[in-house]
Amino acid sequence: MRCPTCTGLPITESGDALSIQMRREVRDQVKASQSERDIYGLMVARYGSATLLKPPKQGLNLVVWATPLLALGAGAVHFWRTFRFQQTRREPGTATDPYLAQVRQETGSRKSGDS
Amino acid sequence: MVAKRLAGWRRWLPPVISAVLVTALIAALLRPGRSGIAGSPLLDKPAPASTLRSLDGVKVELASLQGRPVVVNFWASWCLPCRDEAPLLRSLSETQSDRGLAVLGISFQEPELQNARAFIREYALAYPSLIDPGARTAINYGVSGVPETFFIDRQGIVRSADRGGLTPARLSEGLSRIGIKWP
Repeated sequence: MRCPTCTGLPITESGDALSIQMRREVRDQVKASQSERDIYGLMVARYGSATLLKPPKQGLNLVVWATPLLALGAGAVHFWRTFRFQQTRREPGTATDPYLAQVRQETGSRKSGDS
Repeated sequence: MVAKRLAGWRRWLPPVISAVLVTALIAALLRPGRSGIAGSPLLDKPAPASTLRSLDGVKVELASLQGRPVVVNFWASWCLPCRDEAPLLRSLSETQSDRGLAVLGISFQEPELQNARAFIREYALAYPSLIDPGARTAINYGVSGVPETFFIDRQGIVRSADRGGLTPARLSEGLSRIGIKWP
């Protein structure tokens, strides 16, 4: 749970007076046998979902959760395609470079001429 | 042909991504600040029940005001915008009546009670200013800074919230949402 008066600090690490009171409030709720979900729900009802350090996985927040995974997937696909392309280039006899083909052809014919 | 078209599309990708990011950044920077009529998770929901204490130690239940439109103002003596809006709230409180509008001040994070008393004397605040033990009421209202003002209608529903210091126009707008015409 985020400290409402600080930037990016959880209430457990903030020395702000309001965070201290919020910690007390959470402790009181735990003592009153409230579930974790109910306590989060109570704070969200007061301060909004911005009070959660982990945004809930719903609505527009899904973009935040999905973007790293999509980026990772895109990176993996890019890496795989690049790696495969280089493998293909290294395979003998499949060179697409006309100069390389010419060199291979000439060196090949010279070898056969030498023998 | 297709490969050529794909290559052209790829060439535009980095500038398009940069433009989207820059636009998002500009939109975030130009977003209105926290001052003014504010969104609050409490809007159109029942005002949280709270028990407060007067400066003389008498217990006050917010629920006892149900049936009257209420303006709840969180303030502190160390907060400059609170000083700017105090005369406005004082003049509003002069229109209070037994069955009509009620104005309440709630002191927020006041380290010394005597500072709160001095503030009340300085601005001749005639409406009740209450102490919030353990900031329970502030937390129940989702207050993260002062000044913050809530407008509650006769049915006890929060209809408007204002952050960052009231102006006559913003006070008038908040009051209009709870059926009060002011000035």
